[in-house]
This record gives sequence, structure tokens and C-alpha cells, in this order.
Amino acid sequence: MTYKNRIKSFFKKPHNVILFVLSIVLIYLTIIPMFSIIRDTFTVHQSEMMKIKGAMVGDFTLYHWKKVLFSSISKKIFYEPLGNTLYIALGSCLVSIILGGIVAWLVTRSDLKYKSLVSTLFIFPYIMPSWTLAMFWLNFFKNSLVGGAPGLFTVLTGIETPNWFAYGPFPIIMVLGMHYAPFAYILIGGILRNMDANLEEAATLLGASRWTIMKKITVPIVLPALLSTFLLVFSSAMSAFAVPAFLGTPVRYQVLTTQMYRTLNGLNPGYGYIMALIMIIIGVAILAANQKIVGTRKNYTTITGKSSNIALVKLRKFNWPITIILLVCIFFVCIMPLVSFAIESFLVVPGNYSLSNFSTVFWVGKGSPDIANGEAGILRNASIYRGLWNSIRLSILVAFISGTVGILAGYAIAKGRGTKLSTLVNNLAFFPYLMPSMAFGAIYLSMFAVRRGFIPPLYGSFALLVLVGAVKYLPFASRASIGAMHQLSGEIEEAGTIQGIRWWKRMTKIIFPIQKSSFISGYLLPFISCMRELSLFILLVTPTSRILTTMLFQYNEKGWNQYANAINLLIVLFVVISNQIINKVTGASIDKGIGGN
Amino acid sequence: MKNLARITLLATLLTTATLPIFANGNSEAPAKQQPAAKQQQAPMSHDELVAEAQKEGKVVVYSITSRIANAAEGFKEKYGIDVEATDLKDYELIEKVAKEQSIGAQGADFVIAQDGGRVMGELINLGYLYSYMPESMKSVIPQNYQDPLVFAMINKLFIFNNEDSTTEPFDNIWALTTDEWKGKFQFKNPFQESVNANFLTTITKPEIADQIAKAYKDYFGKDITLTTKNAGYEWIKDLYSNDLVVTTSDTKTAESIGVKGQHKAQNAGLFVYSKLRYVKSKDLALQPMLNVEPFCGFIYPIYALMCSNAKHPAAAKLFIEYLLTEEGFKPWSSDIGTYSSNPNIKINEGDHPVSFWEKKLVMEDPTYCFENRADVEEFLNEYIY
Repeated sequence: MTYKNRIKSFFKKPHNVILFVLSIVLIYLTIIPMFSIIRDTFTVHQSEMMKIKGAMVGDFTLYHWKKVLFSSISKKIFYEPLGNTLYIALGSCLVSIILGGIVAWLVTRSDLKYKSLVSTLFIFPYIMPSWTLAMFWLNFFKNSLVGGAPGLFTVLTGIETPNWFAYGPFPIIMVLGMHYAPFAYILIGGILRNMDANLEEAATLLGASRWTIMKKITVPIVLPALLSTFLLVFSSAMSAFAVPAFLGTPVRYQVLTTQMYRTLNGLNPGYGYIMALIMIIIGVAILAANQKIVGTRKNYTTITGKSSNIALVKLRKFNWPITIILLVCIFFVCIMPLVSFAIESFLVVPGNYSLSNFSTVFWVGKGSPDIANGEAGILRNASIYRGLWNSIRLSILVAFISGTVGILAGYAIAKGRGTKLSTLVNNLAFFPYLMPSMAFGAIYLSMFAVRRGFIPPLYGSFALLVLVGAVKYLPFASRASIGAMHQLSGEIEEAGTIQGIRWWKRMTKIIFPIQKSSFISGYLLPFISCMRELSLFILLVTPTSRILTTMLFQYNEKGWNQYANAINLLIVLFVVISNQIINKVTGASIDKGIGGN
Repeated sequence: MKNLARITLLATLLTTATLPIFANGNSEAPAKQQPAAKQQQAPMSHDELVAEAQKEGKVVVYSITSRIANAAEGFKEKYGIDVEATDLKDYELIEKVAKEQSIGAQGADFVIAQDGGRVMGELINLGYLYSYMPESMKSVIPQNYQDPLVFAMINKLFIFNNEDSTTEPFDNIWALTTDEWKGKFQFKNPFQESVNANFLTTITKPEIADQIAKAYKDYFGKDITLTTKNAGYEWIKDLYSNDLVVTTSDTKTAESIGVKGQHKAQNAGLFVYSKLRYVKSKDLALQPMLNVEPFCGFIYPIYALMCSNAKHPAAAKLFIEYLLTEEGFKPWSSDIGTYSSNPNIKINEGDHPVSFWEKKLVMEDPTYCFENRADVEEFLNEYIY
């Protein structure tokens, strides 16, 4: 075959075309921005002209690297926040694994009452945006030492919370731990549910001792899952932004993301780009480790024996107490935040819970100069509606793009299995998952703030938000799709091919209908994630492209509590309700596919 | 995974290798600085300006004060010209103007900006902004506010909770560094609002640092021992080390301090005077302090400046002129704490004119700030952050 013919036959297969196009697009959107961000750590930025005397914008400089890593300020601006980041990530991991693990054990291995209710409600904190619990913590445990108005807890009990309890690492760890506990619960629960029936029982029949079973079966099976859970929660907690920003700022407790936000949005983007780069490296390292652990024991997830034969541990007289305590705790974490947001959004003077202090002005007020600089109430506020519209528009577009591209990617990767191109695209499509959200935002800021060839500067445009969201959530969709495609026998499509059915029709009439629910969850995950995403977009929004979550953050910073609480209520309700609707309609749910692999 | 690692490594190598090429003469970076284009045409009379402005029909403004929206309504009513006003944080505004102009994008026609240091050093000096002085105002606005044109002044004062006692809780800034005030004093993060950073920078000026040193002696009865460059730096360090509560907004600060029922002996902050309007609307207990040595707070200018690439220059000039009149300043003059550069505009009852504040407060020095703020920020980074 001549060279030309070989190329021709290569491109005759649709999956090769897809792979080829995707490899180019994804290299451009994930690898090239890395160059851009590295370059930005070496150049002088507009706002740094005061610092780097005599330099012009765009000049080469080693200033940032020297300052961040090897100077008298390194400790405060970099090493301490790095230490804090690792500390809270580690702490959140432990909290979430312990909480999630206990609940997982209770639900799968004991005769706990109301299991399905517990199971449903326990997922809530993960569906809600992470800062929900942080805002609740502030509303509830706020003390008078830092801020003036006391929180609900102090009002109800008269006990004043100490500073370490109200602000700083402890509440950050608790809140992130509770937020990621459902994640641990799903992963650990999955393993506990699936392992017993087959292996432990077989071992028992063969006369293995309890200890041998533990050592040879239980631990080896659970350990990779636990480690994997640990690493995934660790990397998520590490890239958390809103929670440390809300709970850490009052006591000047800094982590890498809050430092990144401050420097990139303030006077020293060079510092911020270095931190972004370092976070990306840590993120890649952690998930590479995870890949290795999971990769070597790929089989454990496929053990899907029915758990009907498990002898449930009887909780006996502890059953009711445990059930009640658990339900009360879950209720407190799931329902109370919403109640608190609702209450706070009606208070004229924060902290004063007397009836005369309640007002609907923050919901339906016309706006007067006395209140938040004339900001109209939520329900008649044009800028809130614009934010809401932007959020919805953004989520739909992102879900549509990343979902569709994800399906095509999954199809092509599965079809071209084994080829170099397929492996490359597979890795590229997963790459954005490894990057902390804010760092990913930073690389797009760096890449698209200026003209790139035929692409005009996108900074401040809505298109940039869509682009960054679509790429960041592509891994959700492509993973779901690859999984689905692997389960699908090639013969089904082949039959279509033999019949002479065109590719487009095979996709829409055969493949898509069969694996509908996996594909739909490939659309759903990006949609919901996008709706509650803050740190990915916060560096990229401008007043015209504001979305609800960034507005919430800004209102909170400005101290317009009532508006912030009301907006948060809107976001949470929107996310929870849309998850429920999609769940009912399609059977897909956010708790499926969590974990990204 | 292996492939990924290989790609990343390759990317890193490539970048490092190509860096010098990127850094030099790279057309993508906003490296090209435009020459300072002084857009000084023959001055138009007011009527000519109105005619020209109405022909343009629209004006775009970026502003750090949200009350611009109200002024815009008045302006539209009077001249029938549409205003597109965008409310930005000060650093956003500076970045946006610099970015747009360096890449030749059309943005605002004029801006209302603060952060004198950066406005001077990064926008005016590079020719992105220039000062326009309306003919009709040349004899009204004091000379020192004309170039760059100051639109208004804003002050931030030491303010305390006066629910239990109206006696000012301290009369010397050094009191704030004592145990009594540990964790009781609030100030908005200077990294979040640069006028606060400008204030901290300005007090390191030798003449002000001398006053601070003298105040130290008055308060502690002995000469100050320096561990830093001067008494200004020393005070900043001691203030921050005394568990200063760093806030994210002056509104928050005002509420935290002013909410009634706290009954704390020490409860004060340094924030904008105009928040005293909350005393009524939110029932807060707030009172400014006017007898603190060596200063009671600081005052800073807000500028109204033309953009060099304005698409609607006449309308922008007309709007600037309008903002300097009593009518145009109405959205700001209804409250205390904002002062027009036009001395004919009446101040509010109970407020004092700028001339009064100038004696009591530290006045922002944009040139000194541009040259020295980086040092102060590094200092803050080193000791505090």
C-alpha cells in the first residue's frame, strides 16, 4: 500500500478521524496551556511594574521563582500555605474516611433501620456545593471575638465558641471532611457490598481461619480502595477554595488556593502561576499514584456478587440509638443549613433573631441606598437573574459539549483500543481531572488572556467559561462513555455496518440507545458540577460574565450576608432538584460515576 | 499514565528551551507600549461639547463606585445620552483598562478609578489614560486636583462602638499595639483594597514616620527602638502582630463593630466614614474618633480620567463635567464621607470639609506609593501573611 492509500484507509474509519481530531484539539487545550503557564512564571505582568523596577510588561524575569521559593517572604507566602494545604487535606481525608467508612459499614453489614433513607440523605452534602456547610458553620458557630453578631448557637445556648472552633483549620477540616464523607461512603460501601458473598464465604467453606481471611482476602481487597479513596479525597480537599476562604480568612489562615486567588487576582500573578504549577504537579503525582494502585488491581470492581448471603451483624439494643443518632446528625448536616440560609436571608441586622428584625426586603425590596449600596432584593434584581441565566446557560453548554465529546471520545478510544493514538487521547481526556480546579482556571487565564493566532483574546468572555468547563469536565463524560463502550460487544455495531447503515445512524440508533443511562450520566455530571462550581471560574469571570456562584462569593466578601445566604439557597435547591429530576427521569444520578474511574 | 508523564516532561523541556524566544519580541504578550498620546484638541465650548456628545449618543464608563448608576440616570435625563456603566473592583479596573488598551480592544470611554499609585504608574504613564479638565471647571476646581483630575475624596477614620460610652477609647495609635487591644481592632485586608495598602505605604514616608515616632514617645514615654526601617514600618508590624482582625469589606467591619449588645470594652476599626449611615438604617452604634495622635485615619482621591482610545470622547468629557457639578454629584453628596473636588458643593450636616480632614488625616501620595508600595507589600508578606 502506498503511503497515500494507507492514510486514506486510516481516515476511512470514523473512530480514527475522531481520535485524530481529538488528539490535536486536546493537545491544544491541555498541553499547550502548560507552556503558557510556565512562561508566565518567568515574565513581568502588568501589575508587577511597581515591584520589578524598570521592567516592561512581558520581559523575562526570575523574580517570581526567587521570591516564592528562596526569599525571606517564601515562608509566609508559600511554605506555610503549602503546609496548611497538606494538613487540611490530610485531616479532611481522615474525617471523611472515618465518617464514610462507619456509615458504609452500618449500611452494608449491619441490620440498621431505615437504610435507604440514610443512604439517600447521606449523599446530600456531596451534591450540595462544598461551601454550603462552611457558610452554615459560620452562621451557626460565629463568635463575637472576630465578628460582632453572634451565631445561632451562641444565641440559643449562650455558650460562646472559642476561636479555634469557629475559624481556621479545625472547622475547615470538619467541613471538608463532611463534604467528602459521601464520596468515601460510596467507594468503601461499594467494596464492602461486593466482596463478601463471593470470597470470604468461599474461604470460610474451605476452612480458612478468620485471621487468614482477614489477611489474605479482606485487607488486600479493601486496601486499594481505601488508598484510592484517600488519594482522591486528598487531591479534592487540596484544591478546595471556598471553604478555606470562608473559614480561614478571619484568622489569616492561608492555603495555596487562597494565596493563588489573592496573587492572581491582585498584584502578583507571577507568584500565583508558580503556585498553580506546583499544585498541578502535586495533583498529577497523587493521581498517578492512584492510577498505579487501582491499575494493578483492576479486577476488584468487577466482583459484583449479590450480597444476599451476607449475615448482617445484629446491632440489637444499639440499633435504635444508633439509627436515631445517625439520622439526627444527617438531618443536621442536610436540612439545617438550608433552614439557616433561609432565616439569615430575612434578618435585617445579622445576629438579631427577634421577630421585629425579620424583613422580606432582601428578597423583594426595591433597593435603597441604605442597604448594600442600593442592591435590589433577590427576586427583583436584574443582576441576580443575569447570574442565574449565565449559570444555567453555562451548565447546559458545558454539559452538552463535554458530554457529546466524551461519548465520541469513549467510542473512539474503545474502538481504537491498543493503538498509540487511542492511548494518547485516552490520557489527554483524563488529564484535566488531575488538575486542581483553580490551577486549571489559572492556565486558561494565562493562555487565553491575549490573542492566540486566529483566536481573539477570550478574557472576560462567556466563551472562555464554556471552554474551560467543557475541558475540565470531559473526564467525567469520557470515563462514563469508555466504560459503557467496553461493555458493548463490537458485533452489534458490526451487524449495522454489514447492513450498510451509516456511522451517524449507527451511533444514534444503535449505540446510544443501548447505553443511554451511562451516556446520560456523562451529561449529568458536568451539568451539576458546573452549576455549583466556584474555583474553576472565579479567576475568569468579569462583571458581564458573572455566574451565581461567583456572585455568592463576592456578596459574601462584601458582607452582604442576606443576599449571599439567599443566593446559596437558590443554588442548593437548584442543584438538588435538578439531580432529583434527572434521577427520576433517566435513572442516572450523581452518585454513580463518582471517583472518575 | 506513562505516556502522560512523557508528554508532560517533553512539554517542560520544550518550554524551557523556547523560553528566551517567547520572552523576546513576542507579539502575543501585551509588551508594546503605546506612546503617551496627549489628546489635547482645541477646547470646545460647553454647547459644542453637548452637540458633539449627543451625536455620539452613548458613553461607556468603568467605575469603582456603584453609585455611578444613579449619576448615569441623571445624565441621561439631562442630555439624552445613554450610559453603559460597569462596576469594578479597583484592581479589576486597572487590569481591564491595561489589557484592553494594550491589545487595542475597545473598552471604556472614561474611568472612575482609585489606587493612585497604580493609576499613575501603570495607566497614565503608559498613555492609557489622560486627564481632561473641563473648561467650565478650570477656575473652580483647586489647582492641585486638576492633573490628574480628582473627582472626589473619600476618608477612612478610626471608628468605635459607642453603645456603652461615647468617650473615645484611645487617643494615640500606639494604644492599638498594646495587650488591651489584642484581637480587638479591625482593618480591611490591604491586599484586597489597595487604598488600604497605599495608606500603609504613605505612613512609611519619612515625615509621617517621624510623627509616628514622636507619638510613640508621647504614649510610652521613651524613644522608639527600631527593628525595621522606620517608625511607620514599626507600627504596622506591631499592629499586625497584635492579632489585627483582617476583614474582607468595610461593610462587614462596620457591622461587626457596630452591632449593639456586644458590650466589649475595646471594639474599633479603621474604615470608611460613609458607613456611619448604618447608624440609622441598621441601628448600629458607631462613632468616629477625631482626637487620635498623630492621625485619625486617611483620605484618598478618586480620579475621573479619559481613556486614550475612547470611542465616545465628547460624551465622556461631558459626563466628567457633569460629575463635577452639584447635580451630577448628587448620588454621593446625600451622604457624609464623600467630598467633591468642587469646593462649591455643599457638604452634609455634621460633616467637615476636606480642608478640615487634611489636617487630621494621612493624605495618599500617589507618586510615593508607586515607588514604595512594593516594599511595604513585601514587608507585609514577610511578617504577616
